[in-house]
Amino acid sequence: MTIPADLKYTKEHEWVRIEGDQATIGLTDHAQEALGDIVFVELPELDRELSIEEAFAVVESVKAVSDVYSPVAGTVLSINESLEETPESVNSDPYGDGWIAKVQLSNSDTSHLMDAEAYAALLAE
Amino acid sequence: MSETHTNDELLAHTPLFDQHIELGGKMVPFAGFSMPVQYRQGALKEYQWVREGGSGIFDITHMAQVRVEGQQALEYLQYVTTNDVSALVDGQVQYSALLNTQGTFIDDITTYRIDAHHYYLCINAANRHKDVAHLLQEAKNFDVRVVDESDSTTLLALQGATAQSLLQPIINHDLELIGYYRFAQVQIEGIDAIVSRTGYTGEDGFEIYIPNKAAQSVWQALTAAGAMPIGLAARDMLRTEMGYALYGHEINDQVTPVEAKLMWITKLSKGDFIGRDAVLARKEQGANNKLIALKVTGRGIPREHYLVHCDGKEVGFITSGMHSPLAGGGVALAYVSPDFAESDTLTIDIRGKAIATERTTTPFVRSNVRK
Repeated sequence: MTIPADLKYTKEHEWVRIEGDQATIGLTDHAQEALGDIVFVELPELDRELSIEEAFAVVESVKAVSDVYSPVAGTVLSINESLEETPESVNSDPYGDGWIAKVQLSNSDTSHLMDAEAYAALLAE
Repeated sequence: MSETHTNDELLAHTPLFDQHIELGGKMVPFAGFSMPVQYRQGALKEYQWVREGGSGIFDITHMAQVRVEGQQALEYLQYVTTNDVSALVDGQVQYSALLNTQGTFIDDITTYRIDAHHYYLCINAANRHKDVAHLLQEAKNFDVRVVDESDSTTLLALQGATAQSLLQPIINHDLELIGYYRFAQVQIEGIDAIVSRTGYTGEDGFEIYIPNKAAQSVWQALTAAGAMPIGLAARDMLRTEMGYALYGHEINDQVTPVEAKLMWITKLSKGDFIGRDAVLARKEQGANNKLIALKVTGRGIPREHYLVHCDGKEVGFITSGMHSPLAGGGVALAYVSPDFAESDTLTIDIRGKAIATERTTTPFVRSNVRK
């Protein structure tokens, strides 16, 4: 179970990489394993405004439809369109090619997010 | 992401429970049993293996078996089932159904004829107790004995292009002699078994009925020979691609064989049977709903319960749907009101968006059953 130390996490199993006033969002290794083979990703529209914990994308596995919740507040800057052709990247490279969206932060407060250690502890529960 | 949590339930185990766990089975409740929805390799790989020529092995022990024997076994089965049981010869199987007096489905089944006075019914796991109660009640009017043998029977399916070559070494009977929808009473390692060339996947393959005590050794022999264990998720993908009905989806106690496109197993001319009058009336009046096959031409995965629209108006709903890698997109079965069943502008509502479809026929992908 990979939990990169440089990322922040939510209890809904999203990860977020904060770089200045921009954030990249995806699903964690735990999430992709729990979901199984991802066969479809519905990406958000560009420029959409997101609030914290708002459902903004959908990933579909063989059996289930799952919402992805935003860890941050801001505006959708870019989306990973390659997921339309290869949704399985969410499984094979959840922290790299499996990224879902980049957000322009409207609020840089990350105190509501977990660090890697806290997320690991959550998974161990 | 959102997660679903299952309740703790008292669930039955098949004799292969430990094997499923060892193979990384993700166990879920199904018809009162703890069953593997997929194994370590995942449902997509399991589905691909079976479609691409490998053999998949399925533990379907949760399904139920009923023995029917006696002087009036034939008359009894003619009365309680829809298909023409008198057309069967020894060692032959037919797909059939149990209807109630309204002509709607109690279950879909397969009927095996051992000989003129001795038959087996294979019935759905989820309907076992309902079916058995019904069968016992109706048996009171015939010289027949009906026995629920589910608890002592293990049922495995072996499906895929290589199924026969994998199974032959452990069977004392030339499998080449068993044609499609035929079966033989055989021995596996000295233990009596029934092997039929039947299945629910659209590939060549067999269903293997064995006593529980043989379950583990037969499973080990077939997996050691290269059969991949396949869970319920892949099983559902395989049958949906064929357009095969699943009770609770395409068939239930609200629809007759007229709606469900199952008149081909409903022989109105064979004589009286439970539901016959109601089905005849429905046939004459016309179906309430039509079961159609849709291929998604837009972008999205159709799923059970999603609504079907025509020009913005709700006209039906999906009964089974999936992403089909082989068909190159979403495929679905749906009930649509008769006035719209021929429409070319049906859409599926996926999270508020109208996704385009085209009408098609089943199977959605090529069937490889041996005819």
